[in-house]
Parts: sequence; structure tokens; C-alpha cells
Amino acid sequence: MRHAWRHTRPQQLWLVFVVLVSMPFYFLSLELPKRIVNGPITGEGFESPGDTAPAFRVSIDLPDWIREGELLLVPSLDLDRLGTLVYLCLLFLGFVLINGFFKFYISTYKGRLGERMLRRMRFDLLDRTLRFPLSRFRRIRSSEVATMVKDEVEPLGGFIGDAFVTPAMLLAQAATALVFILIQNFWLGTIAATIVGVQVLVIPRLRRRLLVLGRERQLTARELAGRMGEVVEGIAPIRTNDTSNWERAEIVSRLARIFFIRFDIYQWKFLVKFLNTLLAQVTPFFFYLLGGYFVIRGRLDIGQLVAVIAAYRDLPSPLKDLIDWDQQRLDVGVKWAQLIEQFDVADTLDPSLQALSAEAPGHISEGVTISGLTLRDELGSTLLDGAALSIAPGESIAAVGPPGAGGEHMAEALARLAEPAAGRILVDGRPLASLPESFTGRRFAYSEGSTFLPQSTLYDALVYGLKHAPLRSATSEDERGERRRRAEALAAGNPGHDVADDWIDYEAAGASGPDELFERVLEVLTVVDMADDVYRLGLRQRPADAHEEKADERLLAARRDFRERLESADAERFVEPFDPERYLDNASVLENLVFGIVDADALEGQPIEAHPYMADVLARTDLDAKLLEGGRSIAETLIELFGDLSPDNPLLESMDLMSPEEIEAYRDVLRRLDRGNGKAPEDEDRRALMRLSLGYVEPRHRLGLLDDNARRAILSAREAFRSRLPESLAEAVHFHRPDTVNSAASLQDNVVFGRVVDSFADAAERSGALLRETFDALGLTDLAIRSGLRFEIGSGGKRLSAAQRQKLTLARALLKRPDLLIANRPLTALDAAAQEATIQRVLGHLREIGEVRPAVFWVLAAPSHARWFDTIVSFEGGRVTETRTGRENGAVAQTVGKNDERRRA
Amino acid sequence: MSLLKTEMELLRRVPLFSEIDAGALRLLAYTSDPLTFEDGQTLFRMGDKGDAAYLIVTGEAEVSIPVAGDDDLPVARLSAGDIVGEIAMLCDVPRTATVRASGELQTLKIKKEPFIQLLRQYPEVALEMLRVLSERLHHTTAELVEARRS
Repeated sequence: MRHAWRHTRPQQLWLVFVVLVSMPFYFLSLELPKRIVNGPITGEGFESPGDTAPAFRVSIDLPDWIREGELLLVPSLDLDRLGTLVYLCLLFLGFVLINGFFKFYISTYKGRLGERMLRRMRFDLLDRTLRFPLSRFRRIRSSEVATMVKDEVEPLGGFIGDAFVTPAMLLAQAATALVFILIQNFWLGTIAATIVGVQVLVIPRLRRRLLVLGRERQLTARELAGRMGEVVEGIAPIRTNDTSNWERAEIVSRLARIFFIRFDIYQWKFLVKFLNTLLAQVTPFFFYLLGGYFVIRGRLDIGQLVAVIAAYRDLPSPLKDLIDWDQQRLDVGVKWAQLIEQFDVADTLDPSLQALSAEAPGHISEGVTISGLTLRDELGSTLLDGAALSIAPGESIAAVGPPGAGGEHMAEALARLAEPAAGRILVDGRPLASLPESFTGRRFAYSEGSTFLPQSTLYDALVYGLKHAPLRSATSEDERGERRRRAEALAAGNPGHDVADDWIDYEAAGASGPDELFERVLEVLTVVDMADDVYRLGLRQRPADAHEEKADERLLAARRDFRERLESADAERFVEPFDPERYLDNASVLENLVFGIVDADALEGQPIEAHPYMADVLARTDLDAKLLEGGRSIAETLIELFGDLSPDNPLLESMDLMSPEEIEAYRDVLRRLDRGNGKAPEDEDRRALMRLSLGYVEPRHRLGLLDDNARRAILSAREAFRSRLPESLAEAVHFHRPDTVNSAASLQDNVVFGRVVDSFADAAERSGALLRETFDALGLTDLAIRSGLRFEIGSGGKRLSAAQRQKLTLARALLKRPDLLIANRPLTALDAAAQEATIQRVLGHLREIGEVRPAVFWVLAAPSHARWFDTIVSFEGGRVTETRTGRENGAVAQTVGKNDERRRA
Repeated sequence: MSLLKTEMELLRRVPLFSEIDAGALRLLAYTSDPLTFEDGQTLFRMGDKGDAAYLIVTGEAEVSIPVAGDDDLPVARLSAGDIVGEIAMLCDVPRTATVRASGELQTLKIKKEPFIQLLRQYPEVALEMLRVLSERLHHTTAELVEARRS
């Protein structure tokens, strides 16, 4: 509550003011019905026809000291009975509209207030999370934090809008109605007030229990979310340990708790509701009885009674809402306390350490000094004991020692990923802990074997280390929208930076803009030996993803060039070209039929062979009978070959056309076919058998099923399929055409425009080499690499291999050209020789770049690699045992130099 | 074009496989890959890891051992129906010689994993192999004795 008040005071006050202003109108809308009934309807003041009366003179008697007389709110008119009725009813309608308008305005206003508050709170929680001390992250479950920020905050935000205005409005409404009743009749008013009092006092007490239950529900639900997250992330150990049933039982026990809590809540909720309704319904009983009595006695007129009952009908709902509001207030208070407890962590980073800075920080000039550095784990065991080391600018240091000896912990402390228990790390004489991240995050680079990579493209993952501040604002055409975006962000206490701006710090990478940055990216990819990987990834991307000018023309030129190279290298037989007029031996029957790429998304996941049009084409060309026969003999052969193997035999995996689980199903299909004595098989069996023949590739499966007749039949079906392709499939099927680029096929397929013939030894390698020659000669290699950089690496980078992820992390660290590269066993997924070669290349690269030569602290996986470094530090049992100069230092520089020349040549 | 049937016939003529059940041989043929080499192309080099054996379907191959200098010393020629590389595949030792195609060479590449699985599935195949290898050992020992005597 206090939190809400602090951030929204002016708006809340304004709302309360609006509510107060609206009250007189509400009062009048209560007053009017009475006048209508009493005046024109019962005929009071219109005793003889032709009488006129001043209609609805509304006035307030002002205290004398303000002004003489009375203040007229509604002008009075002299009208006859019917005229008065119409006039009063119109007035009533007017007040209804005014009241409606007030309600509308207030609701919208507080809705916006609530949404802003929600936004503010979510941002606040994120901000705190970003500044948590590292030890905190070891204890929290990511999915729990996610549900807190996503779900639990939501009711809080919604409530903030209501926090003050709702009680003000409801209280005012209830009071107005009550006052109105009191004015009409003191006794009826007293009864109403008493029952209202009971409701207000008793019901909230009953609801306390609901609050306690609600809190439990929140906690258990949050834990459930946490556990579900663990199940998803930990699926491997669950499967490998056969613990799925334990997991089921564990979650079921949670579900049971949640069930009982929720059921309890329901019981209470409806009990309270029942009581509430009962109390509310009892009141009219008194009204009719007492009110009727007063009317009979003449102490109350009918108009008054009708108005009182009408006013009372308005009373319970504000009251109920008020009680609800009070309940919500307590509930929200509890939830907020729950939340803030999780996020109010001691030792969060000072916000100034993460302050945004667009300025490039100065370079490290004197070096880094570590003295008496002691690190402990959470249980207090010593990881590093009084270690000392100084790193001069440009010095390369190798840390050697068995895993856990201390080098990796020193690297973590240098990267500020471990907090020293004792000792100091000074950077140019300043304590490391006091430096803002705008310094350490740019002057230091950290690379380790298991860095988490969020879902993004390869390029975004690479330039991630350069995104410190919005340096160039994106040119937005919608200027008003942009202003509004900014104003709203600020109103909700969010920073106004636009993520659509260009955040990449090109200068830091030694580039002047995106084009030069590509050169730098290529450079670091080459250093970590990943450029070829990216090139190959690019080959598998679609050309549509390569937004290059004249990409189509260049690809067609490349297609011709590649063909020529195949011819001149006498390697034509390695690639069987796509020819609309010829059967493609190294492709399946289905691929030969369609002769193009089928976009599975456009067909909503339905396979093309199941499409009615395909069935139609096959029937028209009499191919279906042939395919059925072929499918039958494939099924017979496969079952004869593999049917007797035990189900766990790995040989089953080489069946290819059929999956091991399907063997039994196909056995049944064949049995039914035999029993049917030549009768046409059921649709399902037909489809199953056709599927086998559609996947058949003669050179691979070698069953001798395709003769020239069959090939000719398939070719004419291909023609039939293409020529009458219905509109609905036009989007889904992209045909191979010799003179156009196929936007659904990969870059590689577009240039090779054929199938590699696997039955020739090394055909893939040799045609791949020729393809690379084509790409290099036509300047398309960059295009392929750019396409490769657009590759989506998947959540956690899982679409890359472990080695590629490690190379990527190292490349990213190099790209930002740090003053100190901290490499913590960064390449464990590579073999020792590849690691050593990469170390050589990295050190060579660092010597060449920029005006400041970066220092290196590299925790090695193999001690023999240390010979490439200036200084070698040995760790053992958490202590530095030896510091010496690299033995072959002089020789190293020479060798590296020579290598470089060779590479350039 | 190579066909499963012809490959199977060839496999049957290999002494190592001659006594093996036809079904098992067909399975072996199906799980193997036809692979064509050009004149002079290398099947494998001495010292390589042995991950497959090659059955020669048509053409000829030359077995040689690298000697000092640039030339290799030819030690044997292989022709259709011969199998090469099965020992290295079975016992995880590096290749003991280099094999090259002389003229176009069609082979059936028998991969290690399916082969081992076949031995597991059909113990009689393993026994048969044991018999053939023992005979070879016997033969080699006899030759060695002969060589020592002279």
C-alpha cells in the first residue's frame, strides 16, 4: 500500500477528487425517482387538470455567510403534469448518462494506473534480479523467479489502480445512499445502517481464514512451477535413472496439497457468500414491513418508500465491493510481502555499478594486481588460499594445474563471478569490486566452457558482448508512437532506452559500422576455427534468408560455375543434376514425383503424400498399383531380413524405410493382404505400403524394384503433378527449375542443383571442395557466412555442438577486444591438439589487433600448452606453487609469425 | 548397378562367410554400403583406424606398404570376391597396409557396428570366423617355422 502511494500519489488524489465531484449527481439520480412517483404519477400538485408546477427545483440552501439565498442547480420550469413527467424522466436519463460517464472515466483512469504500476513492479523485480549477489543465484530456481515476475505480480498491479479510489468511491456511494435513506425516514435508515454495520464487521473476520489459505496457495503454486521447471531441465537424469515415476509421485503429492488448499478456499468462500447474501436479503423484509406500516400510518409517502428501496438496492453492491476490496487489500499486502521477501536481498549490487554509460572507458594502464586472494565455497572450504599474482598489460599468463587446483577459481574472481573471502584484486590501483560494470564488462572478457547462450541468432550471440548502451537511435517513422512509448516507459518508472536502437558498439570491436563489423566477426571466427562451421550452416539456410542484392542472379551464376567446375575436374558423376526430364536415381520416389521442396508449414504438418491431390495424380497415372506392389515387396524383404532380430538390436536402426516399432504393424498388413486374396486393401494399409515405396531409393536399398518402365511412369506422374497443381498447394510446393532460384531449398541445393552420389568414395568431400571453390570465386562465401550467422542457435545454443558453443563463446570474448582476456578452460570439448592450435591463433590474433595489446589469463586444460605463454603460474591444492617465465618464449613468437605468413599466403 | 542379390552371392563366396546362413548374409549385405573408388583412390592407409572392411565386387586393388622414400612397396593384388581390412575392424588395431584401387573399383563397405551386431545375433558366424582365423594362424605359424628352418 505504501509502495503504491509513494509512486502514484498525485494520480490517486485526482481520482478521489473526481469521485467526490461525481457524488452530487449520484444523489440526484436517487432523488429523481421519488419526485417522479410523487409528482406527476400520483398527481401531487396537479390536483386539477391544467395545474402547473415548478418542476424539479433543485437547490441547495447555502450558509448565509457565503451568499444570500439559494444556489440553483437545475433551472426550474413551470409545466403541466405530462410535461413534468417527460421533463423529469429526461433529467433522470441525463443523470444516468453523467453517472455512467464518471464511472467510465474513473475505470479507464485507474486501469491505466494499475497497468503502469504492474509494469513498474515487474521492471523493479527484474532490476533487482540483475543486481542479486551471485550466491543468491545458486539458491533460486529460475522458473520460480519467472512465475513471480509473470503471474504473481499481476493481481498486485491490478489492485494498485483500485487501491484508493475504490474505497473512496464505494464509501461515498454507500454513505450517499445511506444518507438519502436517513433523510427519507430515520427508522428505515437506522435499520439499514445496523445491518450494514453487521456486514462490515462480521464478514471480514470470517474472511481472514481465506487469506491464510490464499497465501498457502500462492506458495505451493510457486513451488509447483519451480518443480515443473526442474523436470523439464532435468529430463536426462530422469530418463537415465528411471525416476519418472518418482517424479510423478512427487508432483502428485504437491497437486494433492494444492487441491486441498483450493477446496478449503472454496468452502469458506461460499460460506461467507451465503451469510452475506442472507444479511442483504433480510433488510428488504424490514423495509416492506416497517415501510409499509409507516405508509399506512401516513408517516411516509409511497414515493419515498420506492426511493428508499431503490436506494437500498444500490447499497449492498458497494458494500460487498468494499468488503471485497478490504479482503483484496490484505491479500495483496500478504502477496507483496511474500514477493519482496524473495527479492529484497542483502548485498545486491549498488545500482551505480550497472549505470548505463555510452562513453568508452579508459584502458588498463598499469595492470592487475592480486594479493592474498582467498576464496571459499558456500560451506566454507577453501578454494584458493592467499594467492598473489600480477598481470601486466599485454602479458599472457597460463594457469596450469589439475582441475580444482585453484586456477579456475582465480579466473572466476577476476571475472567477479566469485567473491573474495579475503585479499584484494586491484586494477590500476583501484579495487576491482568498486569498478562499474561499464568498465569491467568492456575491458575484461570472460570465456568458459559452459556459458549459457539464450535463444538468438548466431550473429546476435556473437555481438552480445558489444551491447552496452543504445549508441545510435533507430530511425523510426512513427515519431508520435515513439514519443508515446518513451513517455509511457518513464511514467511507469522504466528506463526509456529503446531496444530497437543500435546497441552494438562497433568502435570497441575495431569497426566503423555493420559492414566492417562483419569483417571483424569473420576474423574472430577464423581465429577460433569456426568460420567453416558457419559457412556450412549458411549452406543449409534458404536463400530467401540472404537479403543480398542480386542474390538470385549470383546464385544462378554459381550454379553454372559449379557445373563447369564439376566438368573440368572430371567429377560430374559425383553429382546427379536436377533435371525435370530425368529420373533422379539418388533421390526417393516421392522426391522424384514432387521434384521440388514441400513447405511442411504451409501444409500444416500434413505430409504431401497424404494430400488428396497426390492420391488423385497417382490414381490418374496408374502409379498407385505399382507403388502398392513395390511397397508390398519392400515390406516382405524388410520383415524377412529384420523380423527375427530381438527388438533391442541396434541393427534395426539401419532398416531406414521402416522404424523398428512398425515391424509388427507391417506384418499384420501383409497378413491381411494375403487373406484378402487380391481384393483391394483397406485405405490405411494402402497408405502404409505406399509410404514404403515412396521412400525407396534404388542405389541405397538395392532391391531392384525400379525398372525403366517404372521410372518413366514416375516421370509422367511428375509432369501430371506439376501441370495441374491446385491453387491451395501453390504456396506449399516449390519446384526445382534449372533457370530460377528455389526459395524453399537451401543455398547448397540451389547451387549444387543435384544430388551427391554417395556411392562414390569421397563424393561429398570432393563436391563440397568444388562448391567452396565456386563460392570463393564468385564472392558468395560471405553471403553463405552471413546466412550462417542468421542461424538460430536454439534455447541454450542447443542446435550447436558443444564444441561450437565453446568456440562461439571464445569468439565473442575476442570480438570486443578486451584489455584482459580471462579464459577459463574454454575449449574442453576440443581435443588437445585443436585446443593448442586455437591457443596459438588466439595469442597471435591478440598481438596483432589494436593499439593496446590485451593481457591474457588462460586456465589451461593441458600443461603442455603453457609453452606459448609469457608467464606460467602453477596451482596446486588452492595455492600458487610456482610462477616462472615461459621457457620457449622467444621461439614461440617466431613460430607463430611464420604460421601467420603461411596462412596469409 | 549393384544389387543386394549379387552382393550376397559374392559374400557367400568369401571363405570367411561361406558357412553362414543366407538370411544373415543378406542382412549383412543390406546394412553395408556400395562404394565405388576411382583408379588410384585410397581405400585406407597404413596406420588409419580400422572402422570397416571392404568386399571387392568388381575391379582390382593393390595392397602396399610404405617404405622409406616416396614409393610404396606393393605386396599383393586383390580382385573380385576378395575381402580386405577385416582384421583391423575386428580387433581395433591400426591398418597394417595401404590399399588403393587400380582401375575403377566397386566395393561393398562392411561397417564395423553391423558386423559386430551380426556376430552377436548369430553365434555360429562367430564360430565360423574363429575357425577360419585359427586356420590362418595355423598356416602363418607353419610358414614361420618353415622360414626359421631355412
